[in-house]
Amino acid sequence: MDACRWAFLRFGLLWEKRDRTGYGSGLQVIVFQNVSKVYPNGTQALNHINLRVEDGEFVFIVGASGAGKSTFLKLITCEERPTEGEILVGEQKLSNLRRGDVPYLRRMMGMVFQDFRLISKMTVYENVAFAMHVVGATSREIRRRVPYILGLVNLQDKARCHPRELSGGEQQRVGLARALVNNPKLLIADEPTGNVDPALSFEIVDLLNEINKRGTTVLMVTHEHSLVKRFQRRVVEINRGSVVADSCNWGVARA
Amino acid sequence: MKNFRYLLKEGVRNIWSNRTMSLASVGVLVSCLLLTGAAVLFSMNINAAMKTIEGTNSVRVYMKEGLPVLSAVKTGAEIKKLDNIASCRFIPKDDAMERMMDMLGEKDATLLNGMTGKDNPLPDAYQISFRDLSKYKTTVARIQKISGVGSINDYSDIAAKLTKLDRIVTTGGFWIILLLSLVSLFIISNTIRVTMFSRRLEINIMKSVGATDWFVRVPFIVEGMIIGLISGAVSSGILHLLYGSLTRTITSIVHFSPIAMSALSGRLTAAFLLAGCLFGALGGIISIGRYLKKEGGEIVDW
Repeated sequence: MDACRWAFLRFGLLWEKRDRTGYGSGLQVIVFQNVSKVYPNGTQALNHINLRVEDGEFVFIVGASGAGKSTFLKLITCEERPTEGEILVGEQKLSNLRRGDVPYLRRMMGMVFQDFRLISKMTVYENVAFAMHVVGATSREIRRRVPYILGLVNLQDKARCHPRELSGGEQQRVGLARALVNNPKLLIADEPTGNVDPALSFEIVDLLNEINKRGTTVLMVTHEHSLVKRFQRRVVEINRGSVVADSCNWGVARA
Repeated sequence: MKNFRYLLKEGVRNIWSNRTMSLASVGVLVSCLLLTGAAVLFSMNINAAMKTIEGTNSVRVYMKEGLPVLSAVKTGAEIKKLDNIASCRFIPKDDAMERMMDMLGEKDATLLNGMTGKDNPLPDAYQISFRDLSKYKTTVARIQKISGVGSINDYSDIAAKLTKLDRIVTTGGFWIILLLSLVSLFIISNTIRVTMFSRRLEINIMKSVGATDWFVRVPFIVEGMIIGLISGAVSSGILHLLYGSLTRTITSIVHFSPIAMSALSGRLTAAFLLAGCLFGALGGIISIGRYLKKEGGEIVDW
């Protein structure tokens, strides 16, 4: 990746932080206190999880399929409620959160999906703008912000393209732009490199890394050990609903 | 809401991208509104006819055949003595014949040319109006007993028949309308549900970036309302045309003047548009409400 682009990206993120500091300011610590989740069919998805993610951290969540990673994300985004225990996002206890307040909690979060989840009939620009429409941004704000965010993910030239005209890596960058456009304090990425070429995986995580450097907390679920090894960030391993390893560097500390 | 215009545009776009089902909804809603409108117009006309009968508030009392004019005047004086009589106007048989010839028109009236003067077969009559309609039957019975009275043109029977017909139309219409309303609601909510399922991904994305339930709801409600408005306008137009041609046909056959469409036009169109709009909105609210409650509430679908 050329130096010019990184300079632009860094400058952009700094400017970004100055620009909208009021939004979602304050500590966004995520705390799981003895959290368990049992689904109505009896499946125990999470079993007495205790975990603390500090504001501004970058955490890889790893684990085999069915280990409970998705349930972990569902609980943070309030798609599911815990059967037992308490979850805190910032100072907000999620058990006290009314259903009507869930959208406002989610506005502090950006979500990136493995399957990109782009709307095929919309252009790249419209896909990103769509997220701003949802939170009630004005047309002027959208016109100002979307090109800027597309610039950050180096897609300014593809604004008028439809998702089918883009490569997997480019589509994921659109997904990332959409997640970032509302300036979230927490970014949740569910296997964002799962559907892109291995060579492009590093580029995506590089981008997440840069976003994390401006203070955005990043939670990234992944299966790719090569990424985990390369980026040397905190790793939380979930297995059969329990946290079996939690370390700052892969392999250093195992529970 | 800040971006109401955006949501409005989304609603219109939904209709276009799901046009076959939208057209089906418009068809069903138009049929329902047409039947409702027809029943209402029928009922209104029956009521108007009854009011005309009640408004004239009178009976025509015919004298016995061959009764001399002097006796007829005496009979009239006795009728006037009854306490429930508001007015009592004498109609000589010559006047009655003249009116009949006027009604038949110049050409057909020649048939009655030989029936004037002494050969006039019509009896003398009194046009009587009552003070209190509740004493209608007793007053008619008392008039009947007065000597010289031949027959009485009693409208109470017609009024009773019209009331019965109106009751049948109102009751039958109510059930038909209720049934059709439920069918329409079902069809509209299904149309919207189809749109909703085709837009599941969008709803998931909306939910993931923090859309409130209302943000998700509004385009679907707008869609339902537009379907309703179109149906209201179409059915109002069809009913105008049908009613116009039907009343022209009826008036050429029967001596009856139905309520003019011009008198109803504004109210009818407004009622149709409002009803369509309400039905559409209700269909939208029901389907999206059920979806958000059961399936798409807080789903991000990780």
